[in-house]
Amino acid sequence: MSNEDQVMIETVELCKNFGELEVLKGITTKVNRGEVISIIGPSGSGKSTFLRCINLLEEPTSGEVYIEGISVMEHKKDINKLRQKVGMVFQQFNLFPHLKVIDNVALAPIKVKKLDKEAVYARARQLLARVGLSDKAEAYPAQLSGGQKQRVAIARALAMDPDVMLFDEPTSALDPEMVGEVLDVMKQLAKDGMTMLVVSHEMGFAREVSDRVLFMDAGIIAEEGTPAQIFSNPQNERTRAFLGKVL
Amino acid sequence: MDGLYNAIYKNFIRDDRYMYILNGLKITIIIALAAAVLGMVIGVVMALGKTSKNKIFKALASTYVELIRGTPTVVQLLIIYYIIFGSTAVPKLMVAIVAFGINSGGYVAEIVRAGIQAVDKGQMEAARSLGMPYGMAMRHIIMAQAFRNILPALTNEFITLLKETSVSGFIALDDLTKGADIIRSMTFDPYTPLLTAAAIYLVLTNLISFIFGKIERRMRISEQ
Ligand SMILES: Nc1ncnc2c1ncn2[C@@H]1O[C@H](COP(=O)(O)OP(=O)(O)O)[C@@H](O)[C@H]1O
Ligand SMILES: [Mg+2]
Repeated sequence: MSNEDQVMIETVELCKNFGELEVLKGITTKVNRGEVISIIGPSGSGKSTFLRCINLLEEPTSGEVYIEGISVMEHKKDINKLRQKVGMVFQQFNLFPHLKVIDNVALAPIKVKKLDKEAVYARARQLLARVGLSDKAEAYPAQLSGGQKQRVAIARALAMDPDVMLFDEPTSALDPEMVGEVLDVMKQLAKDGMTMLVVSHEMGFAREVSDRVLFMDAGIIAEEGTPAQIFSNPQNERTRAFLGKVL
Repeated sequence: MDGLYNAIYKNFIRDDRYMYILNGLKITIIIALAAAVLGMVIGVVMALGKTSKNKIFKALASTYVELIRGTPTVVQLLIIYYIIFGSTAVPKLMVAIVAFGINSGGYVAEIVRAGIQAVDKGQMEAARSLGMPYGMAMRHIIMAQAFRNILPALTNEFITLLKETSVSGFIALDDLTKGADIIRSMTFDPYTPLLTAAAIYLVLTNLISFIFGKIERRMRISEQ
């Protein structure tokens, strides 16, 4: 197996119910190393729940999730180790408001990985430079704009050296003029070879950056394919209806 | 003027009666401080219980809080003195500290629980997604933020606790209130000793407000 084909994330018949409500109804897919996957679909179709099942923020009702070949369901005790491989960026940023930007980035590597403080801070500064926020290291999250907050959140996730990054509508809470700066960081990340699953309504990003697009509807992957296939020649009626609304 | 001097002389100076106030104040402060620390520890543990997924831990913590909040402090103090420590040689001061600590813990638990639950759910998720275990996330992310938010409520609780210690006389501890009352019973002057005790409590409660207000302002500034 070449490195390119290494499966980073695999889900098999993944189901999730909230009480009576069946939110995921059997999601089976694979994500290879370096792939960028966009997940699109109407609100309430289960996109967030799917991402959250991957790192067990939600516990799947049935089915399997594998992270780099290791069954998450069978290794719940090691979940903290597994989560370190999977970074997550949230719609609402969820920065730690009581910590300076630099400490937001450095806290987990220091506490969780028990790495040397000085090395962690040096790396945190590099990451802040990478997302264009060197000058904000000593600021508190409340002093940042939305776009800056989300870039810090990306740096914070990257600080744990994840193999995969999950993005759940990273630009949906942003003012329009700030969407670009976050997408630029994500594009650069994709270019650098990061494996990414991105739930987004930014169709431009999905079309331009992703290797594969999943269209989710009512808890299933209703259609998947390359951006060209999905955007130019959708097969599924629902995909067409959805794209008709958002494009 | 002569009247005032006479009152002071009679109540405080003669036979070194001021020592009732001074020793009482010492007892009051020791009980309040130690009980506050004990109450914080118990309160945090119980708040973790009330917000825990563990059903047994949760039920225990809830029962504790209900028992404390649903019964009078004096009754708790008497039960702990006569029933729980009844046949032991534990000093009364220790009993009082334990009793008021247990009492304060019940109220602190509710304050801390509210503080924990007021922290956005996304904070715990972000922390867990970085690989932090529950306890670590609770401490460095949730509690750290909750503490800032509950400082005013905790200030109130410490003030209440200080005032509640005035029932220590029920187990024959000579705290500030009891000391003042002893002087009253010797001099038959209710005004001077009791108003003096009230003034001292007022100074102490204001001191607590002042100190916590300072801490609170410092925390706010560091986030601006
Ligand atoms: N914790 C939860 N409890 C109950 N229902 C939930 C919960 N999380 C999500 N849901 C429901 O699951 C469905 C899918 O939600 P979600 O995965 O957030 O969709 P999407 O991200 O595609 O908009 C929605 O109907 C939502 O109300
Ligand atoms: Mg969503």
